[in-house]
Amino acid sequence: MENLINTLKEQIIDVLNLEEITAEEIDAAAPIFGDNGLGLDSIDALELIVLLEKNYGIRFSDPSEAKQVFVSIATMAEYISKNRTK
Amino acid sequence: MESSIVITGSGIISAIGCNKETVLQSLLNKQTGIGSMKHLESIHSHLPVGEVQFSNNEMKELLGIDQSKIISRNVLLGALATQEALLESKITDLDTKKVVFISGTTVGGMDITETYFSDMLQDDKYLPYIGSHDCGTSSTEIMQLCGISAQVCTISTACSSALNAMIVGAEMLKRGEADIVIAGGCESLSKFHFNGFNTLMILDSENCRPFDATRAGINLGEGAAYVVLERAQDAEDRNAIVHGYIAGYGNRCDAYHQTATSENGEGAYLAMLDALKTSGLSSQDIDYINAHGTGTGNNDQSESVALQRIFGSKVPKLSSTKGFTGHTTSASGSIETVICLLAMKHNFIPANLGWNTPIPDGVVPSIGEEAQLENVICNSFGFGGNCSSLILSKNKPAAKAVGEKRKWQVAAEVEITQDSDLSRVKEYVSAMEARRMGKLLKAATIASQDALKIAGIEKPDAIVTATALGMMETSEKFLNSMIVDGESSLSPTLFMQSTHNTIGSSIAIRNKCYGYNITYTQGDESLEWAMRDAIRLIENGQAESVLVGCYDESAPIFGGLLKRLNGKEPANVYSKCLILTAAN
Repeated sequence: MENLINTLKEQIIDVLNLEEITAEEIDAAAPIFGDNGLGLDSIDALELIVLLEKNYGIRFSDPSEAKQVFVSIATMAEYISKNRTK
Repeated sequence: MESSIVITGSGIISAIGCNKETVLQSLLNKQTGIGSMKHLESIHSHLPVGEVQFSNNEMKELLGIDQSKIISRNVLLGALATQEALLESKITDLDTKKVVFISGTTVGGMDITETYFSDMLQDDKYLPYIGSHDCGTSSTEIMQLCGISAQVCTISTACSSALNAMIVGAEMLKRGEADIVIAGGCESLSKFHFNGFNTLMILDSENCRPFDATRAGINLGEGAAYVVLERAQDAEDRNAIVHGYIAGYGNRCDAYHQTATSENGEGAYLAMLDALKTSGLSSQDIDYINAHGTGTGNNDQSESVALQRIFGSKVPKLSSTKGFTGHTTSASGSIETVICLLAMKHNFIPANLGWNTPIPDGVVPSIGEEAQLENVICNSFGFGGNCSSLILSKNKPAAKAVGEKRKWQVAAEVEITQDSDLSRVKEYVSAMEARRMGKLLKAATIASQDALKIAGIEKPDAIVTATALGMMETSEKFLNSMIVDGESSLSPTLFMQSTHNTIGSSIAIRNKCYGYNITYTQGDESLEWAMRDAIRLIENGQAESVLVGCYDESAPIFGGLLKRLNGKEPANVYSKCLILTAAN
């Protein structure tokens, strides 16, 4: 799980152009959206949906479905490990 | 100069019919045009669309064009609708008049570009097709196909483009800058924007249900519609039949988000308010509203709030006709205007197809009924918060006094053309914002914020944008990844930033500018058209300050193609901002 969390952090930094943040600086338990964590928004959520589809073969048909998974990097990693098809 | 503007001709082509007569029959019979894909080729063929029934070859035949000629579907649609409009207007002496063609589109010649993209990269034979990629050229080609010599101008404010084209046309007539205006818009389905909307996850896999509690998004449609506009006196002098008056209009910006509308519908509210004010009508005078009503959760909620803010508990009869035509994006404003004209003439309210269950606290649309319509509102809202509203009237609106032309001056001028300047964007935006900005948005942000600072203006009353090729870098990345990697896993951010009005609306969002906001795209003439509009706004007293900007960039693939075609590549990045203010 630790490995997956780190890979995921790198992928998120890359796809969302988070130039000024390093993987080590991201708290896997912190909220993804809003000002108290990574500070991502609804457009980032759509990019994360694409990331999960592209890299892990996970498809969401509805953004609200994904919202429940995109709480923190840790919850995302947990969901990926259970549902990945690649 | 005469202030009343009349419509003396109109033409339409859409999924529910290829002229006014067939569109009328479909509306009266409540017959939708939305169904399975016939012409568009996509792996997402489970998503329904509102396609025009004609193939490109059938349209070429109708227009008398050689079948072997490669012409954008967008241009073919535009030419057919323009011809119908002109025929009805019965104008015989176009060549002796000052004719201006104002067309709204965002897709331009994209269908040709995406079809021949790989070929163009390899073979010079296909290169000329990149020359008809841009929106401005597609408008010019419509006039060429119709054999009309006119000044041509293209508006690209995403889904409000066609409505804004009619607004600009009316303003030009009022000031004598034109004698005849042909205004409207066209948009053919392209793989590019179909996939783009799909990345935003707002396409419904069933028929759309605007204003319904179970609505789940848009069905994209295609089509074109144009109206012939004249000053009332001119139309009277030549005994023309008047089909309606352009009684009022408003163009505003929601200044909230690139692809979402604000919860309180500020931009839509302000646009409708301006339309009512300029028409001299009261809210009770409105008999029908053709709502933007796309069927997305966000738009219909937000538009409901805006309507309730204007009309309180007495919201007039309303419907969205997107259940018939699909969302025809840049063409929707004129397509729905022509639908309103048909409704006014034939005394009915078009049905809001697909509606069954009301949204809690939302507006309740009509399922179709007979009604006498004197004054109607047509709403058209676009990405970037470009919200516009038009009022059509059966009767001549009260004459308005026209004030003295005011003087204008340039209060600031800034140019950003060097890559090395772009890091300065951090003076104005956070790292989180800058991460999404390509070089053009950075250059535009620096130039506009610098110019506002020099002029000592916190927020301009209006933002007028010019761009020949728009957001080339993001468009190219999206297109290339669609062609090379296929139609899955495409980036929503790239699509969201591919429309021409991305630049003007991002400046509006940054500065919270809810005022007039428009984007012109007409090749090298883009800035000239933008300046004309800005000067009009100041001279007419509609704005105290206007931010005018001209922005263009090059990108590796498109730049290379244009260099092979024209011998020179567009500048890497170019951004010029002027602040115009009223002078004493």
